[in-house]
Amino acid sequence: MIRAENVSFRIGDFHLRDITLDVKPGEYFVLMGPPGSGKTIFLECLCGLKRVDSGRIIIDRRDATRLEPRARAIGYVPQDYALFPHYDVEHNINFGLKRTAVPADTARRKTKEVADLLGIGHLLKRSVGGLSGGERQRVALARAVVVEPKVLLLDEPVSALDEPTRRMVCSELRALQRKLGVSTVHITHNCEEAFSVADRGAVLHQGGLQQTGTLTELFRKPCNEFVARFMSCENICEGEVVADARKPDRTTLKVARTQFVVPGCFEGKVKFIVRPENIRLSRSRADLAEGDTALELRLARATDCGVYVRVELDGAMPLVSTVSHAAFGELRAEVGDTLVATIRRGAVHVLGQA
Amino acid sequence: MGRRSSDAPVRGWRSGILSVGFSLFLVVFVGATLLLIIGDALYVSGDAVKTVLTAPYIRQALWLSIWTSVATMALSLVFAVPVGYVLSRYRFPGQVIVDAVVDLPIVFPPLVAGLTLLVFFNQTGVGRWMEAHGMKFVFQPQGIVLCQFVVSASYAIRSAKSAFDEVDRRVENVALTLGCGHWGAFAHVTLPLAKNGIIAGAILTWARAFGIFGPLQIFVGSFRGRTEVLSTAIFLEQSVGRIEVALAAALLMIGIALAALLAIRFVGGRALVKL
Repeated sequence: MIRAENVSFRIGDFHLRDITLDVKPGEYFVLMGPPGSGKTIFLECLCGLKRVDSGRIIIDRRDATRLEPRARAIGYVPQDYALFPHYDVEHNINFGLKRTAVPADTARRKTKEVADLLGIGHLLKRSVGGLSGGERQRVALARAVVVEPKVLLLDEPVSALDEPTRRMVCSELRALQRKLGVSTVHITHNCEEAFSVADRGAVLHQGGLQQTGTLTELFRKPCNEFVARFMSCENICEGEVVADARKPDRTTLKVARTQFVVPGCFEGKVKFIVRPENIRLSRSRADLAEGDTALELRLARATDCGVYVRVELDGAMPLVSTVSHAAFGELRAEVGDTLVATIRRGAVHVLGQA
Repeated sequence: MGRRSSDAPVRGWRSGILSVGFSLFLVVFVGATLLLIIGDALYVSGDAVKTVLTAPYIRQALWLSIWTSVATMALSLVFAVPVGYVLSRYRFPGQVIVDAVVDLPIVFPPLVAGLTLLVFFNQTGVGRWMEAHGMKFVFQPQGIVLCQFVVSASYAIRSAKSAFDEVDRRVENVALTLGCGHWGAFAHVTLPLAKNGIIAGAILTWARAFGIFGPLQIFVGSFRGRTEVLSTAIFLEQSVGRIEVALAAALLMIGIALAALLAIRFVGGRALVKL
């Protein structure tokens, strides 16, 4: 439904480089990145608020690269919502309808329908000045969707909200998007927020697209260290290949003061992550399958995180493991005890050469 | 770096000293201004007031002051809106210089404006050509508008620029995605949001134009019934020794100026503060 092809844009020292991504009809796509990564600039390029230096933007099978924003059939919700302060809620919502020659009674009906859908029907005559953050967000959303856009572009739509409201609004956003079936691009710097709404996502860093995929792919198989860290992956490790222990399907690495086996064939230094939930903890060594690694580590800290226990292990290769309360209880472990961390071959994801 | 005690929030009895001390300055300033006006009013006799209210030449001068200053305000608005918008929204080479030139009439002595205009129309080829082709300004009523415009338009422009600066560009951007072109976004969003500041600037321009005297004296003279505005009439009355009539006319001007300033407070006071 919306496709960016090699989009580049330069402003001052910042350079958005060759961004290519494709958002399918009805898909909820989240573009993530830390502040300053170029998310908002890219979204403004999609809106037509910035003229791209090169590349193409296709919206609903039309080349929209040189189209004015009003001709792109988009709904746009900027950061902090940018409501029109000189209009009441109703006039904010029907602003776009009035500009597109929709008959007045149709505009009134559509405005009421959308306002009711978003639960702000009772606010129509209110001034926007006295609205709460959540209400302002809904008004901005209603204003964007009432014109029935082909694509909805949301710039950090929940970042100004408190945590409980943010969670509630995210789930409402997802439900609304499903109901309307409108392709949506949502930008955020919060990967937890992304998980709660997205079908797919991408990570942007310093103007370059790092990786695109489902949220699970981004989380479980990040393509590089930046994506891994952004997706809050733990146990990001680096090791050096032990030359005489190399095999076609796996490589033995020297990591800190121990050896570790990773899948694949590498040379030099390698970065990899070990999934904390796939580290099995025990009091003694069990039989190892080929490619598995067992390490004897000291329990440094155990933190109750509600649904799981976060176990920090210290020693030859410091690791973090997450285990269930039941599994941790069975260990009867105290801080300072030595535990065996068994890492299955599948728990390791190689990020690439360091 | 440690905080000096004067940087720390004032508490207790110090707070009282601060508010009383500062208020004292306010009382002195406002009181002194009012005392000056009351002093004028006490000096003026009933006959002088009657003369000001009934003399045809004062009425003509007042009417000339009003229509020329309103025309100047309108002309200033015609320039202030586009110039203020360009200065607020666009970046171009030499902008700092252009910005300074726009402010220049605010800082140079008003008398210089009259002199400059006189030299332009009498001594330069372009000026003489304009005078020869029907665009007569020297010693003409339309010259009053031109002179007032040169002296006061900068206030309207500066105020309009500040007002446009205050309008969030994202609000305009949203309008562009909702069916508006740039004209539509300007008409439906930017201009209404900048309205108060622009009006405040217009009133300030009017007040400035209404009160100027020196440059008019040089550029258009003081021909009774033709180029004599109220401020010129005051000057002429006091120069022939009719101080009471001059003061009565001055009080009339002060009353009108006060009404204009009160209008500023009601219409666009907030924008004015940012000038």
